[in-house]
Amino acid sequence: MVYVTGVGLVNVDRHYDKSTRRLAFEASTAALESSMAEGVDFIIVASSISYLHEPQLDLASYIASSMGLRGVRSITVECGEASGLAAVMTAKALIDSGQASRVLVVGVDKLSEYPSWRVYKNLSLLYDTESDAFYSIGLGGIAGLLMRLYMNVYNVDRLTLAYWPALMHQNAKANPYAMLRFAITPEKVLEAQPVAEPLTLLDTFPLGDGAAALVLEGKASRGVLAEIVDVESATGYQSIALSDDPLKIESLEVAYGRLVERTGMGSVDVVELHDSFTITGILILETLRFTERGKAAEAVAQGVFSVGGEGPVVNPSGGLKARGHPIGATGVYQVAEVALQLAGEFPGLKVDGARSGLVVSINAMGSSSYVAYMRAVG
Amino acid sequence: MALMPERGAGIHGWGVYIPRFRIPMQEIAREWGWPDHQWRALGMMEKAVAGPDEDSTTMGLEASLNAIRRAGVNPKDIGAVFFGTESKPYAVKPSATIIAEAIGATPLTMASDLEFACRAASEGIKASIGLVTSGMVKYALVIGSDTAQANPGDVLEFTASSGAAAFIIGSSKGSAAVFEGSSTYVTDTPDFWRREGSPYPRHGEGFTGEPAYFAHIIGAVRGLMDKLGLKPSDFNYAVFHQPNGRFPLKVGEMLGFKPEQLKLGLVTPMIGNTYNGSALIGLARILDYAKPGERILVAPFGSGAGSDAYSLIVTDVVEEKRGRAPLVDDYINDKISIPYSVYAKFRELIRVVRE
Amino acid sequence: MGEWSSARVWRSRVYRYRLIAGRCRSCGRAHYPPANACPYCGSRDLDEVELPRVGRLISYSVVYATPFEDRDRSPVVIGLIDLGIARLVAEVVDVKPGDLRVGDRVEAVFRRIAVDGNTGLIVYGIKFRPVRVG
Ligand SMILES: [Zn+2]
Repeated sequence: MVYVTGVGLVNVDRHYDKSTRRLAFEASTAALESSMAEGVDFIIVASSISYLHEPQLDLASYIASSMGLRGVRSITVECGEASGLAAVMTAKALIDSGQASRVLVVGVDKLSEYPSWRVYKNLSLLYDTESDAFYSIGLGGIAGLLMRLYMNVYNVDRLTLAYWPALMHQNAKANPYAMLRFAITPEKVLEAQPVAEPLTLLDTFPLGDGAAALVLEGKASRGVLAEIVDVESATGYQSIALSDDPLKIESLEVAYGRLVERTGMGSVDVVELHDSFTITGILILETLRFTERGKAAEAVAQGVFSVGGEGPVVNPSGGLKARGHPIGATGVYQVAEVALQLAGEFPGLKVDGARSGLVVSINAMGSSSYVAYMRAVG
Repeated sequence: MALMPERGAGIHGWGVYIPRFRIPMQEIAREWGWPDHQWRALGMMEKAVAGPDEDSTTMGLEASLNAIRRAGVNPKDIGAVFFGTESKPYAVKPSATIIAEAIGATPLTMASDLEFACRAASEGIKASIGLVTSGMVKYALVIGSDTAQANPGDVLEFTASSGAAAFIIGSSKGSAAVFEGSSTYVTDTPDFWRREGSPYPRHGEGFTGEPAYFAHIIGAVRGLMDKLGLKPSDFNYAVFHQPNGRFPLKVGEMLGFKPEQLKLGLVTPMIGNTYNGSALIGLARILDYAKPGERILVAPFGSGAGSDAYSLIVTDVVEEKRGRAPLVDDYINDKISIPYSVYAKFRELIRVVRE
Repeated sequence: MGEWSSARVWRSRVYRYRLIAGRCRSCGRAHYPPANACPYCGSRDLDEVELPRVGRLISYSVVYATPFEDRDRSPVVIGLIDLGIARLVAEVVDVKPGDLRVGDRVEAVFRRIAVDGNTGLIVYGIKFRPVRVG
């Protein structure tokens, strides 16, 4: 049993004036202040692309030292886009095992450091460099071909799929930490510049910098925001080409199955999931069986996952699409956002009365998947 | 008559590769302010352009695979790989090893890149005949492949193109065409050259003609006919190096060949001058159609300068091999037209500054 | 940028040049590129099989968001290709993207995959293109 006792979020943006360490410091400080914790046993840094954008090995040690935590135990966790939730899983394991009682988890990454073409190249390394990323897949090559496959297999038109980014932008409007806080129409998505046809710039995340931090504790006496009941994960195929059913994220199905089995969880009230591209969000909804296969886009368009819809409210933060996706930090944002929702303190679009939440973070198209089940306390 | 060791060798497989992209002559003329008369006089229509991810090695490998398909040989039985080119992707590092590896002939094989302007591969054929007839190797693979360079705006730009031809040479037994004899004629003649480090070749314009192209091909072909006691009318087909659409017709005429003998092997008007592939793609096209018993003259030429003339007799095996790989005409007809701007980008006439 | 070391290019040359896939002796399934264990059943009892060079295009994307070094061939088409006994993701070349259709027959071609800066190695491998010959 692990409790979230503090969260710290930096708004996702182009923070040209702030280094990786500075962003990590700001999020950490905010989290520590909000938890009123005095000292932590461990700092776990979730960071992925910083290794290429502001190169530093053994990042956690240097971040710890730079924020005056000399002597603390430190670990860097790198699991691509899923680094943040992997770090939370690591923290929970340390607390559950008794090796730590209070852990600071901070996720940080910067995407504004270089021109987009270089960022695209670096982001392609999230995919398998021995297969898919051996070729010039750029930003979204794999997502684009899966989107076309999805449209062909299920006979879903492009406009229906554009309701996802439109919903994400709508949700992000009230989120002070979101990078894109403006509404768009589904039609606008189709008119946007093509990135990896059939997907456009508005089907994917903005290139922003961010950091998010959590204070996690095993025994919480005061200021508990939410409880992390369990975190599970699974690895998947190296390439979508190896899967007989590339429209299902196998690693996520396995991880989610494990989570359900271990926690006995039923339906949840709020979900923060990994919509790196429109198609990723749709495939995650279907892999989790929130809708039938081939029906998620239509369900999104019908408002099933909006506030007041029949389904859980999905990505009230605006998701990766509109909040932003600072790669290694994203999972930490998601846990923080769900914790704030469950505490009734989320400063953006609120899910009133939410008692349970799910966080889904995956790398690439499911090289690995992480899921967390969270509950309100009291 | 002199002993002709060539008769122990023959062509077991032939194959070509011509890139899909074509630039019409009008595009080049319009870009550089040439009158249409200029390219019409060269007997040209369009030329083949290698894509941005192609080079002499990639094209040479595709041609080799086609030759191996026709030959039906085990690549492990290929004991020599000769790669003739004047557009090496690496200044130092063989392409022949890449091709040998990609076809599965490594490691117990010879492999080397040869350089003699457009005639390097032809000399590879001659070396292969020697290796095969001596029993030193069972089969040899000879590749002629070029992504020919021309200084933008130079008249050479109308013709310098991309393509490759490859041949599996082995014992005359079971081959599709048997070598009857050969003759080589070489002098030091500076008609066309490219210095180390220079991106484009220079040429002597008219000087590339009489003292170079014509003198050397005529020398080699007459030498061959003298050796074999043959006259032009004894050949069903003749194919010469074809730097443009006009020179081969003229040299044929000077030697006493009729246009009908030259027609099948003349590919430059449709695809341009593929340099090391030039006469050899023409030879491959003849093998695509020739009947058993027919006699072929092939005479590549390379600046600098030299020419080889070979006489080949087609066997009845030719027909069963033909369908095992795409024909030269399949490649000629498979095309996508591109404007000058795309050609310039593909051939790096527009230089992108990389990190 | 010096990202292609000699050793790395050399190690993978055979299966890159010749479409050599791994095949599991336990479950019989093939996978490309060859892995250390079968991705389907985990068996380490593997042998090699050369994949067919002609297949079908299952899906594709036309990628405009490419790294600068690939700008000379942008947009890059990335395809999911079915070779019968195995599928793979690869670049699809020699086609105007608008002419491409799902279900098209595609054939393997040997191409430059990457050119490492101005002085580094040229990396070769297999791409695919629509079949138009024969
Ligand atoms: Zn298996």
